[in-house]
Amino acid sequence: MGDRRRSRRLAAVLAVTGLAFATAACGAGSDSAGGDPNTLEVWTRSNPDAAATYERVFAAFTKKTGIKIDYQPVINFDQQLQSRASTKDLPDVMINDTALMGSYQSQGLLKAIAPDSIVGHDQITAKSWSSTVGIDGKHYGVPYSRQAQTLMIRKDWLRKLGLEAPTTWQEMLSVAKAFATRDPDGDGKADTYGMVVPGSAQNGYAAWWGSSFLWQGGAKIVEPDGRGTYRPAMDSAAAVHTVTWMKDNLFCGDNAVTQPGALTAITSTATNFQDGNAGMYMTGPYNITTFDQTLGKDKYEVVPAPAGPAGGDVLADGENVYFGAKTGKTKQEQALAAFLISPEGQKIAMTGENQPVVRIPVNSTLDAATVRDDARWSVVQKAYEDASQQFPNAPDFAPIKQDTADSLNAIFTYCGGDVGSQLKELNETLAGDLKDQDLLK
Amino acid sequence: MTATVTTPAARGAFKARKVFNKKALVPWLFLAPGLLLALVFKFWPMAKGVWLSFFDVRPFLGDRWTGLDNYTRVLTDHRFQDAIGHTLVLGIGQSLGAIFLGFVLALLLEGQARSLKIVRTAVFLPAVTATAVVGELWRLMYYPTSDGLINSGLNFFGIGPVQFLDNPDLALWSTMAMGIWIWAPYNMVIIMAGLAGVDRSLYEAAAMDGVSLWQRLRYVTLPAIRPALGIVLTLAAIRGLRVFTEVYVLTGGGPAGSTEVWMTRAYTLGFTRNDIGGASAASVVLLCVTLLLTVTVNYFRKRGDVR
Repeated sequence: MGDRRRSRRLAAVLAVTGLAFATAACGAGSDSAGGDPNTLEVWTRSNPDAAATYERVFAAFTKKTGIKIDYQPVINFDQQLQSRASTKDLPDVMINDTALMGSYQSQGLLKAIAPDSIVGHDQITAKSWSSTVGIDGKHYGVPYSRQAQTLMIRKDWLRKLGLEAPTTWQEMLSVAKAFATRDPDGDGKADTYGMVVPGSAQNGYAAWWGSSFLWQGGAKIVEPDGRGTYRPAMDSAAAVHTVTWMKDNLFCGDNAVTQPGALTAITSTATNFQDGNAGMYMTGPYNITTFDQTLGKDKYEVVPAPAGPAGGDVLADGENVYFGAKTGKTKQEQALAAFLISPEGQKIAMTGENQPVVRIPVNSTLDAATVRDDARWSVVQKAYEDASQQFPNAPDFAPIKQDTADSLNAIFTYCGGDVGSQLKELNETLAGDLKDQDLLK
Repeated sequence: MTATVTTPAARGAFKARKVFNKKALVPWLFLAPGLLLALVFKFWPMAKGVWLSFFDVRPFLGDRWTGLDNYTRVLTDHRFQDAIGHTLVLGIGQSLGAIFLGFVLALLLEGQARSLKIVRTAVFLPAVTATAVVGELWRLMYYPTSDGLINSGLNFFGIGPVQFLDNPDLALWSTMAMGIWIWAPYNMVIIMAGLAGVDRSLYEAAAMDGVSLWQRLRYVTLPAIRPALGIVLTLAAIRGLRVFTEVYVLTGGGPAGSTEVWMTRAYTLGFTRNDIGGASAASVVLLCVTLLLTVTVNYFRKRGDVR
């Protein structure tokens, strides 16, 4: 009996040792694959349509420089980035939202970038470069693409009902109600809606989409104080007034003004505009390609967002090129960034039959409408240049956006609550978020 | 004589030792691939997760030890507390509903007829369909206008369109209904196996005594399938608190956080707010609670068996 137990123990030890060696072998394999100095691993957060555009851009880069690209269109970008971060082996280059820069920098995921080290840096405006400055005053991204929210509106419905595109909030409401109640598609059924609203709190959509209204109402989410710190600003009179207006008119009033399911809709599920049953959608210009294909160019137009009490500002955002920390391929990364911001690189990304990944070019020698021969892009570019505000990029804005979205979604869901006290509560939450980052004024 | 006796003994001892070694090693060799997979994809990540829950996770800046701060912060977060409440309601309701419906289906579909086999296969399909796909289908079924599948049916009875997912009072129950639909067929199969094992003579004896259908169910069927119910309850205890995909696809935790559950909250902490330490702490607490619940269910099951 003793002999048998001892031999089993020995067998177990051998098995575990074998497992350990096998595991080590697996680990060794992946190291050698990632080490090629002439290949860059590049991630973008793209659906298949946008990824097809990136493929053409990277093919042109490889043809020009000889540097190969291992391209990964990653949809679940943040989860997979965290996985790679935990193994301290980041992709060489990442192209993702400008609003995520603070989040990535706060985790040490990015290399600092000297603008002078990028060939062609002088063709990017100072305004664009200023959007990639981190908390410590250094640059952490290369501007790549910018965009501004604009209003997509059914011009065939406007014509049929004898209406003009709205230029103020009140006019927008009137048009939305007309779209909802006057049968603009002529099918005899009450199956049309005024506008599309992605109002879910999931991933911060309510704050992302609703921020244009906040800007137009004169509100801010957080306010910089000029010394590198911020204070929460969602308890201002302008914020209370704006959120109350949104609640009363978009979510808690006549429900036909917005599409069904607005409170749990995210952009991928809020397809009513392209499905042809909603009349307006304030969204990014990357959808122009999609809507041309699904709805038809002749049916809708792109107009500036209607103005609120404080003006017509919309949310501006875009993508930056980020370099992964400690990749050891700085020269190759700089070469890719230089190509991406060059007139050639930007043009390839702006045109073609797939979704454009450069919307408004950061290269100031290019004009969005001219490159595309499409006047609608002038509306977008003008909105970006003249009437837009970004989320602050330097802080880790992710928790701030998420908490704001949670609060807005709750206000819009429970219509009877007092907006002022709920926003005061949000302000305290935002103060906690800023304090966690040592950014509270 | 002495030489003859010694030689066989020595030879026998040597042979026995060699046989033991070979026999002991073979099972481990067969188990090795499975153990390797479990080690790499389950136990190592689990250990790493526990380790990370004590840190402010910043891989490139150096993780900062925070001891139990992550646990304190997560457990005192009111949104997390709400999420625990929703998880308990959803988990309990979903489990009990799925067991009850599974039991009903098992009674209805038990038997040897060929047509029953086809129906059983069809009824089992939810158990083998990807949860994300089921979530998308149910979101379409719950569409909140009179065009929606379920609202069309309600409209037939004169009931106006119901906002299944946008009404915070209904969203959790709507999610529960989907969960019951997903898990009932799985429970049905286990309970059906239990029913197949019931001694037929017990039914014959009951029929002789003239008992009612309900009495037969109460005194013959239910006691007989207690082992199957025990298994089903154990699985429910493990699974009930770990709901994620159903909620994430259907509502994303909305509206107004009314369907936020433990796992969607941990997911938000980790990937939307980049708080990996907090997410790890939330997951570790869930692991401990699940283990405790499983042990408790097993304890009562065994005690019941003894009685």
